[in-house]
Amino acid sequence: MANLIKIAARNLSRYKRRTLLTLSLIVVGVLFVTGFMAVTGSFKTLMIGQITDSFVGHMQIHRKGYLAAIDTLPLTMNMKPQAVKKVETLLKETPDIEAYSMRIKFGAMFSNFIETTNIRLNGINPEAEAKTVPLLFPRISEGEQRLSKGEILVPELLAKGMKVKVGDMVVVIATNRDGSVNGKQLKVGGILESATGPGGRDGYVHIEDAIEILRMEQMEISEIAIRVKEFDGLHEVFRTLETKLAGELNKEGKPIFEVHTWENLSPFYNISRMIDIMTFFIKLMLIAVVLISIMNVMIMAVYERVREIGTMSAIGTLPRRILSMFLIEGFLLGAIGAAIGSLLSIAMIHVINLAGFTYDFGRQTGIVLTTTVNIRNLLVISGIVIAVAVVASLQPALKASRMDPIQALGYI
Amino acid sequence: MELIIGQNVSKVYQTGEITVTALKGLTFSIPKGAFLSVIGPSGSGKTTLLNLIGCLDKPSGGTLLVAGMDVSSFGKTEAAVFRGDHIGFIFQNFNLIPVLTAYENVEYPLFMVRNIPAAKRREQVQDLLEAVGMLDQQHKKPDQLSGGQKQRVAIARALVTDPELVLADEPTANLDHDTAMSILALMKKIREELGTTFVFSTHDSRIIGEAESIYKMEDGMLKTNECGGDFTHG
Repeated sequence: MANLIKIAARNLSRYKRRTLLTLSLIVVGVLFVTGFMAVTGSFKTLMIGQITDSFVGHMQIHRKGYLAAIDTLPLTMNMKPQAVKKVETLLKETPDIEAYSMRIKFGAMFSNFIETTNIRLNGINPEAEAKTVPLLFPRISEGEQRLSKGEILVPELLAKGMKVKVGDMVVVIATNRDGSVNGKQLKVGGILESATGPGGRDGYVHIEDAIEILRMEQMEISEIAIRVKEFDGLHEVFRTLETKLAGELNKEGKPIFEVHTWENLSPFYNISRMIDIMTFFIKLMLIAVVLISIMNVMIMAVYERVREIGTMSAIGTLPRRILSMFLIEGFLLGAIGAAIGSLLSIAMIHVINLAGFTYDFGRQTGIVLTTTVNIRNLLVISGIVIAVAVVASLQPALKASRMDPIQALGYI
Repeated sequence: MELIIGQNVSKVYQTGEITVTALKGLTFSIPKGAFLSVIGPSGSGKTTLLNLIGCLDKPSGGTLLVAGMDVSSFGKTEAAVFRGDHIGFIFQNFNLIPVLTAYENVEYPLFMVRNIPAAKRREQVQDLLEAVGMLDQQHKKPDQLSGGQKQRVAIARALVTDPELVLADEPTANLDHDTAMSILALMKKIREELGTTFVFSTHDSRIIGEAESIYKMEDGMLKTNECGGDFTHG
């Protein structure tokens, strides 16, 4: 094998300019794909982090059917204390869960005594919420980063529209599940910077205030937001919870709960999917570049070395050894191209980070592009390049191995 | 002891609607250790005969035994294995692999065809390079060697697997007279030392006299056997 590799390497050095040109095509392809994946990957990671850590959480549990009706925030579909207790027990028993937070979600009227508008409110336990969505309180742009009983966190757009500021008194009026209306005066504790997605327009009150406004006799929870310890293991935890909660049935024998990951809860998931699809097509382009360039160079190599192949065959070289020799040439081209491309990609990613490019997303401005070297991605891309290089060499290699030695020796 | 026995060997080529009979029922035998030249004008069938003996092609009719094996029944892989085990080739254009040094060219059949361990390869290759007078040029690539030197390397490559038979197609055609004579002298010396059978085709009247047996071919038939050997025309 070592001798085959030596001959293959020497053959590649025979036409240096052509080999370098092919290698440079592969290197540029690898650079392009890894660069694209690093930039879009960092954007995806940042945005997913923003969305899950600002308001959605990694997962949510609702009463079955709640999510389909979430636009109306139906209080009638809240979870009863017994049901909540069951979920809580399960969450406490699941070691991969870092934190969870109970929320009472409801629609209300928000009045500054002059004007009134609609608001979506979340009644939360501030400590549990801070552990579950750690970016919620850092989003408070005005006021202290906390929420006390008797206070309300108002979304920035609404605060501007209603001309309220920290310390102002406002009234929140809501209809409870029986249809009666109740109101409560609250102090504006903070102004919440807008986050990406629908949750960016939600206000927050203390869960005890929510119970009071809604005149709940016992705490009925709309959703339980969950944070897992390892984001990469999210789907495994999801499957565990889903399986266990699927066993909880109502009197009619239907499931009581539904579990969703952030993908089902945020429209950003569709953007994320689009990025994945674009990445797939970029990878296809890389495959095409490698396939065409290596196949071209290998076909030329076979035609230029017909007599040599005839000589090899005449002196007794078996067809499979000739096949191997050409496949190894293709493999080496792919492997060297992938290696150089990967090294240059790492350098390029460092340069991007040093340059400190910024971009805007929604209302968020000046986000610094922080790309990371994903070794797994580099290995996958290198693997694709090498595999495609070998596949591209297969047809020319087969042609070489099947050559008739007499015709090959007489080839001019 | 006969190394090659041909019985009514014929070769017909079909190109579209044209049929060309290159060999017309040759019956011949070549003994072990022969130093035989096949001569004749272009198109007489010399190369075709060498191709059949060298298992590069199959006869259309008749029986051809080489080293006791009926080579007409070989498949592609069997023929390659047989060539690697029993036959060495020397070509008019030397056909050395340009990216390999003289040493590596001679070594090539040992690792590509025979799978001989590195230490043993080194010994065999150096012995042969010394025998053909090329040991001091072993690190040079073919483009750094003269025609005569290239042919010496090619002879060493043909002999490195210790074949019973060496086939040489016009081995001196691209060499000047003195070099051609020295190459023939070398082949003869090796035949005497190792007992290898040499069969070579040539046009070159200057070197025909060096052969111990001559098969003269004309129009696909063996016309005369000028010294030794045995043939009849079928």
